[in-house]
Amino acid sequence: MEPILQQDLTIAVPPDISVRGWPAEAGSKALAGYTALEDATVVRRLREAGAHLRDSGRASEFGFGLLDERPGAAPLPPVADVAAGETAVTCAGVATGVAADDIGAPADAELVMDFMGESRLAAARASVYGFKPSYGLVSRYGLIGLIPSMECCGIVSGSLDAIGAILQTVAGQDGLDFSLPDEDPPDLSPQQIRPEETIIGVITEAQGAPASGDRQGPPAPGHAEGFRAGLEKLRRLGFTLREMSVPGYALFSLVHRVVGSVEASSAAGRYDSVRYGPRAPGAKNWNEMYLMSRGAAFGTLVKSYLMQGAFFQFERYEAFVDACRIRARLVEDMRQLESKADFFVSPMSAGPAHGAGGGAGAPAPSADEGRSATPPSLAYVYECFSSTLFANVTGQPALYMPPAPGSAQTGFQLTGPRLSDSRLLALGRLISGSRGGE
Amino acid sequence: MEFEAVIGLEIHVELNCATKMFCDCPNRPGDEPNANTCPTCLWLPGALPRLSQEALEKASLLCLSLGAELQPRSAFDQKVYYYPDLPKGYQLSQAHLPLSRSGGIDIVDEDGSTRRLRIHHIHMEEDVAKLVHEMEGRLPISLVDFNRAGAPLVEIVTEPDFRTPYQAMEFLKALRTRVRYVGSSDCSMDNGTMRADANISIRPRGTDQMNTKVEVKNMNSVRHVGDAIAYEIARQTAAVQAGEPVVLHTRLWDPDKKATLPMRAKFDGPCVPDPCVPAIELSSEWIDQMRARLPEMPAERAERLAAQHGLTREDALSLSADPEVAAYFDTLVEHGAAPRNAMHWLTTQLIPAVKERQQKLSVSPVTAERLAALLGMLAKDEINANAAREVLAEMFGCDETPETIVARRGFKQVSDAGALDPLIDKVLAEQAGAVADFRNGQAKALGFLVGQVMQASGGKANPKVIRELLGKELGAG
Repeated sequence: MEPILQQDLTIAVPPDISVRGWPAEAGSKALAGYTALEDATVVRRLREAGAHLRDSGRASEFGFGLLDERPGAAPLPPVADVAAGETAVTCAGVATGVAADDIGAPADAELVMDFMGESRLAAARASVYGFKPSYGLVSRYGLIGLIPSMECCGIVSGSLDAIGAILQTVAGQDGLDFSLPDEDPPDLSPQQIRPEETIIGVITEAQGAPASGDRQGPPAPGHAEGFRAGLEKLRRLGFTLREMSVPGYALFSLVHRVVGSVEASSAAGRYDSVRYGPRAPGAKNWNEMYLMSRGAAFGTLVKSYLMQGAFFQFERYEAFVDACRIRARLVEDMRQLESKADFFVSPMSAGPAHGAGGGAGAPAPSADEGRSATPPSLAYVYECFSSTLFANVTGQPALYMPPAPGSAQTGFQLTGPRLSDSRLLALGRLISGSRGGE
Repeated sequence: MEFEAVIGLEIHVELNCATKMFCDCPNRPGDEPNANTCPTCLWLPGALPRLSQEALEKASLLCLSLGAELQPRSAFDQKVYYYPDLPKGYQLSQAHLPLSRSGGIDIVDEDGSTRRLRIHHIHMEEDVAKLVHEMEGRLPISLVDFNRAGAPLVEIVTEPDFRTPYQAMEFLKALRTRVRYVGSSDCSMDNGTMRADANISIRPRGTDQMNTKVEVKNMNSVRHVGDAIAYEIARQTAAVQAGEPVVLHTRLWDPDKKATLPMRAKFDGPCVPDPCVPAIELSSEWIDQMRARLPEMPAERAERLAAQHGLTREDALSLSADPEVAAYFDTLVEHGAAPRNAMHWLTTQLIPAVKERQQKLSVSPVTAERLAALLGMLAKDEINANAAREVLAEMFGCDETPETIVARRGFKQVSDAGALDPLIDKVLAEQAGAVADFRNGQAKALGFLVGQVMQASGGKANPKVIRELLGKELGAG
């Protein structure tokens, strides 16, 4: 029997998740005028369970990196100053820098495409919970994605109960998505966690500084304090904390960047202006039509990502093969750690301070009231997501825990073994309960 | 210097599945353009591929029919190139981990020797859309029909074991027979369900070097494959002898000019693993189940038909070349038809009649059971051969039994001497000259007299009985 949402939830859906009859432009000119013909499986299941749906108003291209390149939009939304524990009513608006009034009815939760940590970073900037389910637990049918082997539908909300209920509703086998592994579904009902029987691993390499494929930058303000506060809280609750090492941790970002961009380069091949999307006028032949239409279709960030992917596909294929091999090793390394710990805790940055990013020689986005004259570089985006993307590489579930209400610190991130989603949410509930409820 | 050719084939076979390879759209490319499309085969945003079980099974049976080894693990890759017939910028194909490896076919070569032609691997892939180029007034336009996009294909890649056009043609014929036997495709080069490309290079005879090859496409019959290869060998030989280098490129066979002509090559991109179609893992039990589904293959069948029914080797091979014909023959004999008579009527009467009516033997209204009943009446002299041919023609247009048609048309043969004697007496009286000729030793006069009695009987008399009775009357041996 289909699970029915016990709560009357309004859920915001971005334009990169298909809702039948709604514009599904995914924030890209490549899909200008495109309307979804079918519901994404997550949408269909939520609808059937009685959820109210509304547009989230997000418009970053394909949801990649949370960056909105529309004129006047923030390069990354400013860190929210809403108190942790506030419901996610304004999450979608806050996270994008768009006022809630502009985007319709309030939402209890928002679906966010998660390629490298977007749902967690959006949550961090709104000081609410951000959850990325295990890869393969939730159908990807109807998600207008870019990185098939890493993307999934994340959930952002001020309520862990709402996240749990939504997960229970959308998870599970789907006849429309054969890529879901043929495995027994995990128990998604609320779980109990006993701190005295639970070991939480602290990955050494994740603590120092955000790992980046291009450079190791200084931790963002509040980042270390938030993490230390999180560790302290876990100790107080009676959990055993155990330091452990993933020597290849710094490679996560590099692997994500190579594999992700190659997948994106292929996945975006369908936006060729043959069947839909604007077609550039004046081309003398179809090769020219491709070049002109695709050149005009994509924003700077996505275009540079696709170009990078095409470079690895066509010119450095061996680097892509290496990256796939290293990815398999990193997944195995993380699996090894799962025999030593039940969950993992890691610092979580809401991104470098504005103006500090930019990465290897690239121009940093202007801090001019959050508006950017120069599009942010890929290096900057990867730096922003350096503490979250490892869970997309391995397919583990991950949960952003916001700081205590009123705290100036950032929160922290919890991850667990693949398919431990329900236990991870239970851990989050236990921790948040200890500070006076949600 | 004497040269020899080194030839390899790449053969695409379209599987006759009910649906396309990654969606539930009907696999009917010939329908109204773009009638058989959905978000998946148009690759609209958010669509995901769902590999067809039927395609996997039919591809696996095809592999086994060619002696190939199904691989425990195979997977799809994205073959990246941009072309309007490719809706997503890449073709799903199995570049790195194909469905099967090895295999091959033994052919009888021109000199009568048996030659093994090996297969390198067989992989699955999806077909692309069809481009139609037209003029809209003075403006050239290209239209895309996506009915074929996503149709299930297999590609059979051979080793470069071929040396002559004859070997290539024999290989294709044998491959076609085997694939038809397992029911995976009708393998018709006429209607495009089998397409063969040839990679051809030449080298000094006796050496083992591999020189620059030229790919030749667009051959739509087995004969054209032979002609195109022969042309290309001659063209390359002449070029090398004239001191011109052979350049790697693709050429198209022009059947009207009987020549290969250079074409602009499509860009061949890289192949990256596809993250959306799960890897195919075949258990040994599943492979055994597939192997158990293999029917009796042509060579074994020919051997059995020769041994069991006393057919000549040539007749048995000819019957076995087409699984429909062979199955029809088996059923005919099961229903009591004498094997030689069954073979004769099947090949000389029924198959031409079915072809003339543009029907398929397997769904012809003249079922093996009905034809066996007709042949049974013929064998028992209840009708004669002329009547049987007329009854057969009628059987295509109605569902009456041969017995009913014979009764209705009054074809029942008269074999009763009491009924025939008066006719014989009358003919002997009227044809005194022929009687005299016969008595004077002209044996053929007897045939004339038999004909006269047949005519007098309205074609119903049994000629064998007439001959006997006339012989007695005329005092012949």
